[in-house]
Amino acid sequence: MNNFSKERFKTGEEYSRALFFLSPFILLFSISLFQVLNLTLFQGDKYQTIAESNRIYQKPISPVRGFIYDRNGTLLAENIVQRDLYVTPAYIEDSAETILKLSNLLDVPYELLDENFSRGVKKVKKFDSFPLVKALNEEQIAKAKVNLDSISGIEVKATLKRYVLHEETLAHVLGYVGDISSGDIRRDKLLAELQNTQIGKTGIEKEFDYVLRGKPGIQTQERDVKGKLVRILDTEGAEDGKDIYLTIDQKLQEHLFKLFENRRGALVALEPKTGLVRALISSPSFNPNILNSIVDTDEVESLFSNKESPIFNRAISGQYPPASTLKPFVGLAAIENEVISWDKIIKDDGEFYVEGDPRPYRGWKENGHGRVDMRKAIAESSDVYFYTIAFDLTLAGIRPMLDSFGFGKKTGLTDFEANGLLPDKKWKLGYIGDFWFKGDTINLGIGQGYILATPLQLAMAYSGLANKGVIYQPQFIQPENEKSFEPKKIAEIQLSDNKAWEKMEQALVDVISARNGTAHKVYDANSVVIAGKTGTAQIKSILPGKEYDAIRENPALRDHALFVGYGPVEDPKLVVAVIIENGESGSEVAAPIVKSAINFFTGGFDAE
Amino acid sequence: MQNKPLSFSVDIRLNQRRNLLNFDYSIVLTVFLLGLFGLAMIYSASGSFTLVLRQAMYFVLGAILMITAAMSNFRKMEPIYLNAVWIGFFFLVLVLILPNSGTTNRWINLGFIGFQPSELMRFLLPISAAAYLTRNPQIKLSDWIIVLVTTLVAFILVFLQPDFGTSAIVLLSGIMPIILSGLPWRFIIYSFLGGIGTLPFLWMSLMDYQKERIYTFISPEADALGSGWNIAQSKIAIGSGQFFGKGYMEGSQSQLDFIPESHTDFIFAVIVEEFGFLGALGLFLLYAFLIHRLLYVAKSSNSKFAKLVSATLSIILAAYITLNISMVVGIFPVVGMPLPFISQGGTALVVNMITIGIILSLRRTT
Repeated sequence: MNNFSKERFKTGEEYSRALFFLSPFILLFSISLFQVLNLTLFQGDKYQTIAESNRIYQKPISPVRGFIYDRNGTLLAENIVQRDLYVTPAYIEDSAETILKLSNLLDVPYELLDENFSRGVKKVKKFDSFPLVKALNEEQIAKAKVNLDSISGIEVKATLKRYVLHEETLAHVLGYVGDISSGDIRRDKLLAELQNTQIGKTGIEKEFDYVLRGKPGIQTQERDVKGKLVRILDTEGAEDGKDIYLTIDQKLQEHLFKLFENRRGALVALEPKTGLVRALISSPSFNPNILNSIVDTDEVESLFSNKESPIFNRAISGQYPPASTLKPFVGLAAIENEVISWDKIIKDDGEFYVEGDPRPYRGWKENGHGRVDMRKAIAESSDVYFYTIAFDLTLAGIRPMLDSFGFGKKTGLTDFEANGLLPDKKWKLGYIGDFWFKGDTINLGIGQGYILATPLQLAMAYSGLANKGVIYQPQFIQPENEKSFEPKKIAEIQLSDNKAWEKMEQALVDVISARNGTAHKVYDANSVVIAGKTGTAQIKSILPGKEYDAIRENPALRDHALFVGYGPVEDPKLVVAVIIENGESGSEVAAPIVKSAINFFTGGFDAE
Repeated sequence: MQNKPLSFSVDIRLNQRRNLLNFDYSIVLTVFLLGLFGLAMIYSASGSFTLVLRQAMYFVLGAILMITAAMSNFRKMEPIYLNAVWIGFFFLVLVLILPNSGTTNRWINLGFIGFQPSELMRFLLPISAAAYLTRNPQIKLSDWIIVLVTTLVAFILVFLQPDFGTSAIVLLSGIMPIILSGLPWRFIIYSFLGGIGTLPFLWMSLMDYQKERIYTFISPEADALGSGWNIAQSKIAIGSGQFFGKGYMEGSQSQLDFIPESHTDFIFAVIVEEFGFLGALGLFLLYAFLIHRLLYVAKSSNSKFAKLVSATLSIILAAYITLNISMVVGIFPVVGMPLPFISQGGTALVVNMITIGIILSLRRTT
């Protein structure tokens, strides 16, 4: 025991031992001081930057979307306040309980809320919010206002939503808006900063989105660690979108839309002398507001899965065989190429044969039209006449004329229109995998076979007839002053005989005015004089031994009815192309709409 | 062996009033400076005047107890010092028995105030140990063993709360008097190696959150939004303070709550963010000066008891300062330790001030 007293422990060694055991702390203390030096001086700038990004939040301010008006200043699309229920997941303790409470409070199915919640949670950052219930109704807003204080992480936010006043009437022209998708951002990086902003998805909303959208502002905010706003440091205001005035005449549009009675079809009406589009219809239509603010996803789904494709814009994207409406252009080509003269008579006995081919090319009228010249051939729509001249013209003779009238080419009205199809030998070899036969040329002569045109292209081509060869750039944007507006020519077709225009017009007038005209049914002495052409587009070629009556049992295989016309002929104000899918008779279903359009527009007699 | 009179209670008579107030005023001044600076920083970090007021009340209480202790005659306090450790044990057991709120058993709530028995223990244990070891002129092996066992029991009680940081301090506070009182070096080395041998067992007994803190320390960036968040944000605050700091109440990291526990354990980050490297340097100098003056007592006293107590308490204080700061600057694992005299927390402040008072009283034996 006493061994320990033998240890050579001197008084005062307590202090030296204390220093010894203090030394690790002194070392750590020194390293700490050096670390402070390192952090503040050597890495100070870096940490300063990080600290700034910690506290600064750049909140984009959504600009107000521009309104859309028609040519007369009638409001077509505006913005309305929509109140949505927003949820911030970070402030919710028990999501199931919160959803249950909300479901009972707002009378919304639990499953729907649950689905919206789990979908939304994945999309947002921790302290961000997303809409859980969109477009609250008055009752829900009232209930929410009273009860929401007791549910954390839930708030009602007001946002501006696109609202189209005339709903289905002008749906395809206006298009609709929607949230910015990741695909949109990939195409346009600037969109990434536009939170809670809707952008145009189709139609005018998309085409002129850059005008309507405006420029977002940025609010520089200081936020705390929870993402809560502490103060606003700087606000750079948003630049609101500009209003757009369309060439559309909403009264005309509404009037014509009603005439469609939801039948499948399309209409394009434009001023031949300016290219200004006054009405454009695709039927059946849809209510863009369903898509402008998606509240009910089932409703949206059924819209897109609808077999009648109401979203599809038939007027610019629907491609149809032009059928007999193509005949004036084939006729002009024949005159120009001197394969026929105006007075030359061809005997039409209802069938046309090519040498060495026993199969007949039948005309629509059994036993034919008898002796026909060009004028009668147009008025009565003789197929055999056009088989004959098409055969003589050959493809090389027909194509340039059709091409100069714009067939097979986009008109440039919008970015979303279809090309149509003006076939040639190379195309057929490439796409059909076969050579071009004489029969193909013969079919082309009556607008059947491979050729396809959009209603817009037909209207444009007929505007060329109305203008004696000049075609103007079609457009949707209303010029500030119509009188001083100088439209842009996109085509000027020269014929060697300028009188040919008048002669063809006379033939087209006969279609309605002459007793034997195919559309004489719509003749009315009170109406302005209209030049036009009927068309009946075959969907299914009639095989030998099978009659059309058997085919028409299936409504989906019935012929499309077309009518394209302009008037008044003395000073054409409007050119109108109408197609009614499976409408069978151009004169019965399409021509009345064209007539009504021209009369309504010129302020004259209205047939219907 | 027969009981002899305690070595330190033999000779000197202290009765002159002049002597009572004869203590190191530079230490008192430093402590006051630190305490008042702490109050200002707590206000900046928390923005709560109530919190500052409460801390100020503790500060006043601490100041009174510090001066009282400084004026006391430690030689007359001998029986009290010898048995003070039992008070510590009483509360340590009590805190484990009482129903707790949350996951840890650290607080005893006396209604209007609460305190941490572990904080009390790390101060009572070394005093009692020193008193016990120096009650006879010669220290026996059994004395050391008894002190060691007592220390281990205290350590385990704190560890069970669980409070890893403070339990380590308690261990240190009991072992230092043993080592300083002259335990042969070979025993020290053996014990040290033995201690290392128990580390795996210690690791296994750690709570998950404690293990996580150590993982986090090893790789703070691996989990930037989880445990590493604290250290990362603290470093950002310190670094962004740069040389002069952002100014009082102007630190974005602290004002916007990016610094966790900014008015308690991480208050050093607030100080550097707002006062820069210059402020940090000033604080380091104050602490260094304080420890230096306190150690001077250990050096100059002619009483072994005084040497042991002042040296141990100085080392404990230095440990707190160093471990807290090195944790906040990110060179040591996160252990929940307050910064002495500055961090918000009543028990620590009062205990630290009494510690200073006792050391001041010991100094008068020189």
